[in-house]
Order: sequence, then C-alpha cells, then structure tokens
Amino acid sequence: MSNPVLYRYLALGAALFAVGLVGFLTRRNMIMIFLSTEIMFQGIAINLIAFSCYHQNAAGQSFVIFLLTIAAAEASLALGLVVMLFRRRETLNVDAWSDMQG
Amino acid sequence: MDYTLILATALGAISLYLMLPRGRAALVKLGALIGVLALGAGLLGWFHWTAQEQAVHYPGPPAIFFYIFAAIALASAAGVVCHPRPLYAALYFVLLTLAAAALFLLLRAEFIAVVLIIIYAGAILVTYVFVIMLASPGGEIPAADYDRISADPLAAVLVSFLLLGTILQMMSYGQAALAHGPGAVPAAGPAGFGGMGMLGANLYSHYALPLELAGVLLTVSLVGAVMIARKNEPPVRMLDSGEIPAE
Repeated sequence: MSNPVLYRYLALGAALFAVGLVGFLTRRNMIMIFLSTEIMFQGIAINLIAFSCYHQNAAGQSFVIFLLTIAAAEASLALGLVVMLFRRRETLNVDAWSDMQG
Repeated sequence: MDYTLILATALGAISLYLMLPRGRAALVKLGALIGVLALGAGLLGWFHWTAQEQAVHYPGPPAIFFYIFAAIALASAAGVVCHPRPLYAALYFVLLTLAAAALFLLLRAEFIAVVLIIIYAGAILVTYVFVIMLASPGGEIPAADYDRISADPLAAVLVSFLLLGTILQMMSYGQAALAHGPGAVPAAGPAGFGGMGMLGANLYSHYALPLELAGVLLTVSLVGAVMIARKNEPPVRMLDSGEIPAE
C-alpha cells in the first residue's frame, strides 16, 4: 500500500469522524446522540485498519476487535440508560434532563 | 495549501448545515446537491494525490472501489445525522456499516469485515432498533419536535468542519513531505498478510490478557445493562426455606 492510498483512507476516517461529531452536537434525541458516536467509531476503525494494512502489521486489526468490544459494551449500557430515562420522563429529548446541570 | 480540499470541506459543511433537520424539507435537496459537489471536489483532491501514486505501482484493488464505497459511507453517514426519523437513521447506519465492511475487504481485513457486519449490523443495530421502537412516545406519525429541530446546527458544523479542514491540511503537508522524502516506498511486508490466522496469532500472542479482560468487560456491561433497565418492582419476598410464598 502506498502513501496516497493510506492518506485517502485517513481522509475518509477523518470525514466520518467530523460528520459523527456534527450529529453528536446537533441531535437532541438521546438514541441519535449514541448513534452518532457509532459513526465516529467507524471513522476510527477505518483509520486503524488502514494503518494496519500500510505497516503490514496485524496489531491495527487487533485494536479494531477491542474497539468493537467497547462499542458493544457502550451500546448496551447506553441503551439501558436511555430506556430507564425514557420511563422516568416519557421523552427522549435530552433537554428534559437539563436540570441536571447543577 | 491544498485549495481543492478546502473547497471540498467547505462544501461539505454547507451541505450538512442545509440538510440538518430544521422543520423544512426543501433545503434537504439543495443540501444533497451541494453534498454531491463536495464529494466531487474531494474526489478531485484525491486524484491530485493519486497522480503521485501511479509511479509507485501498488498491486492492489483498483482505486475506483475505494471511491464508490467511500461515497456510499459518507452519504449514509450524512443520512444518519440528518434524517429526522430515528428508525430510518438506524437503517442508514446499516448501509454505512456495509460500506465500511467493503472498505475493510479492500484493506485485506477480511475477518474484521465479517465481524463488523455480524456485530454492528447484526447485534448493535438490532439493539438500537429495539430501543427506538420501545421508547417511541405512542407511535407518532410525524417525527417528534426534538427530532425535527436540531440544536445549534451552525456552531456544531463550524466546529466539526474546522477540525476536519485542519486534519486534511496537515495530512496534505505530510503527504507532500513523504512523497519526496526517503521512506516513501511501501514495504512489501511479510508474505501472507491478511486473513484470520494472522489476526488470531497476533491476538493470542500479544494481546491474550486484554482479550480475556474484554470478555470480562462484556459480561460486566451485560449485567449492568440488565440492572439499569430493570423495572422498579418491589422485590419478591422469600421464605427462609428459599421458597416464594403463594399469595
């Protein structure tokens, strides 16, 4: 894999991260906020795999395995929290919880 | 300065800003059009990089596959962020996952590609869809207000795309420096890169303990999720003999 090929993938990963960040900052639905973090995870995974292929080293792929583990744990915990919060206020709007900001 | 990339970043920012839900539908098409222009400008910028690639002669899959799947991934990511209905956004995310899996195949990470489809598109997204359906207030036909009107789109788009523009500019400098400096030629690497065996050997020789810890982490988060999402019912009283009294 040559440099330009690597840079193409890195640019794609950065763009996915930026799009996910926009979603994270603008959406007001709790589920959509977590879904936006998953987009950012995808960008990171593409970065790791691209470096793995560039250096011909399997460590990047191993890291993606761990990244998937963390993503799965995060999704299960976060969605459990969303279900609990939804039961309390009957809405998914994060603004309903703005009284928590002390 | 790489003006094509700046143009692509700015066009992408404008397109995403126009497509973010604001209760109006007409701007979505305009935003999508500008988004296509942004992808085209990005393609031009990448062709600028690819021009130097011809000299190296890398024997790999043709670049057209990358462009197709990258465009699908970016478009579906924009769909996730901009669609006012969470269920459709989740389906766009499945599309993003499939495109990313195809990119991983191009990068010779076959096992990761399959695992990504099974875990992300199969498990995590099904959980998301379940929660979206569980936590929808009374089956509303129009999307809820907090989904149709996004919070502070201008500031968010500015922050994110300034970050993206900076990263792309720095990468452009690094690319120019590397292309003319030593060490630009890729290593051929050990034969047989890619495939499941290589990944398994790496995981179990270098990362055996972290792998076990990842299993523990998954178990802990599973128990935690069950505890968090449990309904607050009064606990069932048990007799000393361990039996549940019939009332």
